[in-house]
Amino acid sequence: MSQSLRPYLTAVRFSLQAALNLTNFSSQVVERHNRPEVEVSNTSAELKLQPMHVSRNEHEQVLIEPSVNSVRVSIKVKQADEIEQILVHKFTRFLEQRAESFYVLRRVPIDGFSISFLITNKHTETMKTEKLVDFIIEFMEEVDKEISEMKLFLNARARFVAEAYLGEFVY
Amino acid sequence: MLHLRPENLLVQKTLTEAWNASKAGSPLTLDRVISDFDYTTLHVSNSPDDKSILWLSIRTKAWQSVVKCGGDFAGYLKSKYNGFHAVSECSPEQGYDFTVQVKLDELDADAIVQLSLMKIHIMSYPFQLAFDEFARLSQLPEGSNASDTVHQIQYRDDENIFIKPSSDRITVIFETFFQDETDKVFGKVFLQEFVDARKRNRNIQSAPQVLFSHEPPLEAASLMAARSADKNRRFITFVLFPRHFQTPELQFSSVCHLSLFRNYFHYHIKCSKAYMHSRMRYRVDTFIKVLNRAKVDDEEEAGEQTTRRTITGRKLVY
Repeated sequence: MSQSLRPYLTAVRFSLQAALNLTNFSSQVVERHNRPEVEVSNTSAELKLQPMHVSRNEHEQVLIEPSVNSVRVSIKVKQADEIEQILVHKFTRFLEQRAESFYVLRRVPIDGFSISFLITNKHTETMKTEKLVDFIIEFMEEVDKEISEMKLFLNARARFVAEAYLGEFVY
Repeated sequence: MLHLRPENLLVQKTLTEAWNASKAGSPLTLDRVISDFDYTTLHVSNSPDDKSILWLSIRTKAWQSVVKCGGDFAGYLKSKYNGFHAVSECSPEQGYDFTVQVKLDELDADAIVQLSLMKIHIMSYPFQLAFDEFARLSQLPEGSNASDTVHQIQYRDDENIFIKPSSDRITVIFETFFQDETDKVFGKVFLQEFVDARKRNRNIQSAPQVLFSHEPPLEAASLMAARSADKNRRFITFVLFPRHFQTPELQFSSVCHLSLFRNYFHYHIKCSKAYMHSRMRYRVDTFIKVLNRAKVDDEEEAGEQTTRRTITGRKLVY
C-alpha cells in the first residue's frame, strides 16, 4: 500500500465509524413511512448531518453524507485515462446490476462519483458495523487493484496477439 | 484458438459428409446455408435432377468491388479449381455471386479444402493483381516505374481494403471504424500494439511494417476524397516487402492472414471482453463474501445461549 493511500483509507474509516451511528426514525412528513432521510429532500434540518468529504486528490474522493437513520457513501474511483474510464464504468455497472446481493449498494451513483452505498439503520441492525466499515475499505482497496490489473491484462493481451499475428509473416 | 483458420470448417464438414454418404451409396439431400465472416454466405444444395451433384454458391460483400478491379477475374477463379475434375463452374444461382458444380463421385480431400477456401480465393484476386503489377514494375528501369493503381476491396458496408503496388513494395491499407465506444478504446490499444510489436520484438523484425493513423494515408487519399472525414475512422497500413510474396505459397499465406486481419483483431477484442467479464464475476463473489462476514448470524448466537445438550449430544428440551 502506498504511503498516501493509508492515511486516506484511515480517514475514511474513522469518518465512517463516526457516521454509522444510526437509529430507527419514522418519517415526520408521511405517516407510517420509514425512509432513509438522506435520500429524501426534507425541510427539517436536524435530520441531516454535516456531510464529510475525504479527498486524496481530484481523482480519488469519498463523500459521506450522514443523516439520522441512513448514511450515503459515494466513492470516486481513480480514472487516469480512457481505458480506466471504460473499465471503471463497466465494473461499477456490473456491480450495480447485482445490487440486490450487496444489500448496501445503491443502484445509481450520485453525480460526480463512480459508485454509491446507502447504509440504513436496518443494515446496521442486522450487520456488524465494524465489518461493514471493513467491507467499504476493502472495496476501495480492491477496486483500484482490479482496475489496474485489468488494464495490464489488456495491454499484455494486445501485445501477445499482435506479436502472434505478425509472427505468421516471418518466413 | 489463437489464430483464425482461413478455410471454412462448416463447408469442409458438409462436403465431407456428402462425399462419405455418396461413397456409401446413399447420397444426402442437402440444402444448407453457411455463413462466414464479413457478411459472406455460402449455400450448399443438391442439383435438382441429380443427387450426386452438389452446387456450392457464394455471396460476398467483396464481390462487386473485386469485379471492378478489372482483368480476368472469372478466369482467375476458374484457374483455382481447374486442377479438380470434380469441380466445374456453372451459372450463378439466383441471389448468389458465384456457383460451382461438384460431382461427388470424383471429389477428393484436396478439392474439399480448396472449395472451403472459396472466400479467400475471391479476396485474393486484387492481391494477385497487385503481385503481378509489382513484378511488372520492378522490371522497369528506375524513374519510369511509378504507378498509381490502387485496388479497392469493399468487404464490409463501410470498411475497405486498399492495395497499392509499387516497384519495391506493396502497401495494404485497411480502413476500419468502430461502432462501439468500448471497442474503440480497446481497438486503439490493440492497434497500437500492432504498430509497436515489430519494433519491440527482434524475432519478428522481418514481418511487414505496420502503421496506424486517423488520416487517410496518401496512397489511398485519392479514393477517399469523396468521403467526408469521419472521426471514428482508423487506417492501418501494412507494408509488404518482396520477401513476403516471393513464392506462390508465401503469397497465399500472406493473403490469408491479411484478409483475416480485421476478423482476427476484433475476435481478440471480444475475447478480452469475455475474460474481463468472468473476472468481474469472480471479483463480485469475493466482495459478497466480505460483506457476508458482516452479517450477524442469528441462529448461531441464539443457539449457543438457549440450547443445551446432554453428554451424548442430544438436545435438552425443557
